[in-house]
Amino acid sequence: MTQSNGKKNINLTLKVWRQVGPNVKGRLETYQANNISTDMSFLEMLDVVNEELIINHRDPIAFDHDCREGICGMCGAVVNGRAHGPEKGTTLCQLHMRHFSDRDTVVIEPWRSRAFKIIKDLVVDRSALDVIIQAGGYISVSAGGTPDANVIPVPQEAAEKAMDAAACIGCGACVAACPNASAMLFVGAKVSHLALLPQGVPEAARRVLKMVQKMDECGFGNCTNETECEAVCPKEISITNIARLNREYIKAGFL
Amino acid sequence: MNWLLDIIESSIGKKLLMALTGLGFCVFLFGHLAGNLTIYGGKDAFNSYAEHLHSLGPILTVAEIGLLVFAMVHILSGIFLFWGNLKARPQRYVINKSAGGRTIGSRTMPYTGFLVLLFVIFHLMNFHFVDKTNTTIFQIVQNAFSDPIYVGIYVAAMLVVGIHVSHGFWSAFQTLGANHPKYMPLIKGLSICFSLIVGMGFGFLPIYFLFMS
Amino acid sequence: MQLDSKVPGGPLSEKWDKHLFDLKLVNPANKRKFEIIVVGTGLAGGSASATLAELGYNVKTFCIQDSPRRAHSIAAQGGINAAKNYSNDGDSVWRLFYDTVKGGDYRSREANVYRLAQVSNNIIDQCVAQGVPFAREYGGLLANRSFGGAQVSRTFYARGQTGQQLLIGAYSALSRQIAAGKVKMFTRRDMLDLVLVNGKARGIVTRNLVNGNIETHAADAVVLATGGYGNTFYLSTNAMASNVSAAYSAYKKGAFFANPCYTQIHPTCIPVHGTYQSKLTLMSESLRNDGRVWVPKNPGDKRLPSQISESERDYYLENKYPSFGNLVPRDVASRNAKLQCDQGKGVGETGLAVYLDFKDAIQRDGKDVIAKKYGNLFQMYEKITADNPYETPMMIYPAVHYTMGGLWVDYNLMSTIPGLFVLGEANFSDHGANRLGASALMQGLADGYFIIPYTIGGYLAGTKLEKVSTDDAGFKATAEDVEARIKKLLSIGGKRTVDDFHRQLGNIMWEYCGMARSAKGLTKAKDLIAELRAEFWENVLVSGSGNQFNQSLEKAGHVADFIEFGKLMVLDALARKESCGGHFNEDYQTEENEAKRDDESFCHVAAWEYAGDENEPNFQKEALNFENVTLTQRSYK
Repeated sequence: MTQSNGKKNINLTLKVWRQVGPNVKGRLETYQANNISTDMSFLEMLDVVNEELIINHRDPIAFDHDCREGICGMCGAVVNGRAHGPEKGTTLCQLHMRHFSDRDTVVIEPWRSRAFKIIKDLVVDRSALDVIIQAGGYISVSAGGTPDANVIPVPQEAAEKAMDAAACIGCGACVAACPNASAMLFVGAKVSHLALLPQGVPEAARRVLKMVQKMDECGFGNCTNETECEAVCPKEISITNIARLNREYIKAGFL
Repeated sequence: MNWLLDIIESSIGKKLLMALTGLGFCVFLFGHLAGNLTIYGGKDAFNSYAEHLHSLGPILTVAEIGLLVFAMVHILSGIFLFWGNLKARPQRYVINKSAGGRTIGSRTMPYTGFLVLLFVIFHLMNFHFVDKTNTTIFQIVQNAFSDPIYVGIYVAAMLVVGIHVSHGFWSAFQTLGANHPKYMPLIKGLSICFSLIVGMGFGFLPIYFLFMS
Repeated sequence: MQLDSKVPGGPLSEKWDKHLFDLKLVNPANKRKFEIIVVGTGLAGGSASATLAELGYNVKTFCIQDSPRRAHSIAAQGGINAAKNYSNDGDSVWRLFYDTVKGGDYRSREANVYRLAQVSNNIIDQCVAQGVPFAREYGGLLANRSFGGAQVSRTFYARGQTGQQLLIGAYSALSRQIAAGKVKMFTRRDMLDLVLVNGKARGIVTRNLVNGNIETHAADAVVLATGGYGNTFYLSTNAMASNVSAAYSAYKKGAFFANPCYTQIHPTCIPVHGTYQSKLTLMSESLRNDGRVWVPKNPGDKRLPSQISESERDYYLENKYPSFGNLVPRDVASRNAKLQCDQGKGVGETGLAVYLDFKDAIQRDGKDVIAKKYGNLFQMYEKITADNPYETPMMIYPAVHYTMGGLWVDYNLMSTIPGLFVLGEANFSDHGANRLGASALMQGLADGYFIIPYTIGGYLAGTKLEKVSTDDAGFKATAEDVEARIKKLLSIGGKRTVDDFHRQLGNIMWEYCGMARSAKGLTKAKDLIAELRAEFWENVLVSGSGNQFNQSLEKAGHVADFIEFGKLMVLDALARKESCGGHFNEDYQTEENEAKRDDESFCHVAAWEYAGDENEPNFQKEALNFENVTLTQRSYK
């Protein structure tokens, strides 16, 4: 029981990737993060560093973040070589400083992929993921005229599996962690989510072909089943979804 | 046939080719190993196995051409995939740590693949494209493996093949969509077993010869 | 200007149908001639964009995040209400309507709420058809649970991620329209001003957050779905980018702001633990279905919860409200937590927390059942606090969560500026002084999928709209104003950071305009805010320049508006001399410390009209007439 866990403060050396724009060379710069409470989140630690940078008339570190509760998928950086940091099933905003020790050196880099251009520092452009969804990651129904929600029963197991896949927050960590910068887990999750539900079946074939085609166009790498994606996914989405994507693709392509 | 071309050109299509040809090689390795085990039956057993094989005539030629096609497909799609993957991350990470997904096998696939290719050429030159008049295949093998350098190369190559197969086997199933929570642990287990069998099965033969001589 | 709610006549249950018939229609061929701007891509904005595009309008949609999938609707955990009565427990459209009006402490517009209850069922049908993976029973039909203050099971849910799944539904519908070319999507845009031409809303000014460009966009109507203003309090459960600036700029351009003092303080959040804290995390209130809230009976009892025996625990909600127990509405639960902490019974390091205990539920149902229901919430809690809720009770404390107030809109969801429509949390219309759990998602989607598509047509068909272009003087002038303000923010070069000011504003608001308010405190807050505002414009330090990616500048603009808006909240709170729902004024309470409404004098919507930066805003009332429900004092005893 840690209910009365003693507060502890630590000092860290940060090496942060600084890059002013997409076509400029970037480099690691060193900052001190002093007196960091271990109850802070990783992003709160960066807030503290940034406050100090601003006060000293230096450019604060740009990083994306929004909900800070691990659901919006906006935040993300590679911390000491690991996407979203060392904790399993955790987004960067939910990573707490108690997982670091005093005088650690922490290297922070942006997601790196040809498909994700760096906008500034740790901020990258992930619109390629949206483009893939636009290629077919939906069920084509318009508002109105839908049948009563209980007309088509969905086996609980299918609904649960679909939910497992639908838990994807589109953060891009899978791409960042994949040695090949592949987006197969992201695409696999979306294809699985919709293919597992009876409502998604009518367009399943068209969907998977279009999404894979778009994924390839966007410049992501190819899956070589390294399974790093599954290991860093903050929602712990399984690579069985990639297998399902492959299956759906084979079905759609050959049948 | 445009649809087929579209599929083959896609990332998943290329991986499917890798998987299918890779599994084909696994079957071949299994057969090759079974044949080689006749060596332990002695000179006559091995030579008669070789004769049997050659008596198949055109079937053998077809099989050889098939293997060659498989090899070309496997190599070409491998090169395309490898190249695509390199391009997909132009700027590498300064620090790159595995989150626990990668294995030696998965990490080294393109490199072990390349080494295996070199080895196969070497191997074919040693035992396939050699003058077989006035000698038997057993003698050729015996000669070769009386040289410790040859033995070293072969054993090392088998280690490499084992590593390649340890990832390739289960990975092929995953690519073909055969991943089910109930069966995947079994497939992964099989993958390890198969790589051990292949590595050790083939790897002990040269050592056996070395000690026999 | 006289407020006209445009509520149609006739019996309550027929108003919407009648109105739909009375609304003028836009000829299908003409729809493609209209351009509509939608700002925000949460449940309201996302669904509105998609649906308007499906109808054939040309839509331009803007969001502040890098993708329309990230709006803060995504964080809603618990569920979405609908009057399906799948549970066969006596629910109906009428009951959902009644519960919502009562839960809102009779400060909402009857006709709007009834319509909300009516379309609630369509929403579920729509979402299921889109592939939202709602929880299901073994037989394959949809599962329901009871939620926050409701005595029927009418809440549909997708684990603890209902908001996310509904938003992905709306986002996928939107994506389909983007692909079809009917929606042009603008991401990483911050709306900084509204452009009026001849008194009608005809466009917006945005800042491109990537390169800093100030951009103008013209349209025939503007739809704001920009969410609530909870971040005025600095610490809230809102996302970091949630801001009031878009709504506030509309207010400054003449849109009335209604009931700004109504803020919902959610009872089950993870307590604050330090000054560096940047936001608060909500734990779904569904936890109160199985968790029991308690504090030690003796003030100052600092022992571990395991060492405090049953007889030394005060299950204060169960004791005080025997019929609702732990399921009392949010405002009641929050206020009682504060009351306990004020009496020194608070737990944890700061003394600003109460326990939410699952021991009995785990004993009754088994750990597996509880894990299935709340597993991800427990996991989230453990991640943040390093405590395991399966073994030790959670600690919770109320936090600002939702704002019922918003831009005033009529029955058509149009503000007092013609052509400016406001949806979702950004408007004020449906929740009165307090919102019931699982109703925010319902309202956002109702507005977007099923209301605005019709009412905007009525406006476009019935209004003469002259041609405008972004080259017009009105657009240029507004863009210049925006640029001037940015320049000013950057030129101050003071000594305090934007966050520093924001934090101070938050303290003022939480202290004096939070869970409990009083005339004295509010008057003080008014002065403090005025001082803060003066200092901000002299002493703020914003780094970088305007023509680059600059998060410090983004925030500075938002905080400048929060400060001004804070004043409006305080003024509204001062003017409402009663207690109701999310507005609890200590000067107006019963002997048992319950909120005391004054229906004689305050059964109205308070709408504020901007009258210049230095002047007090003008005040207008929209009287609320209840023809179908009788006003009663809420009682959950």
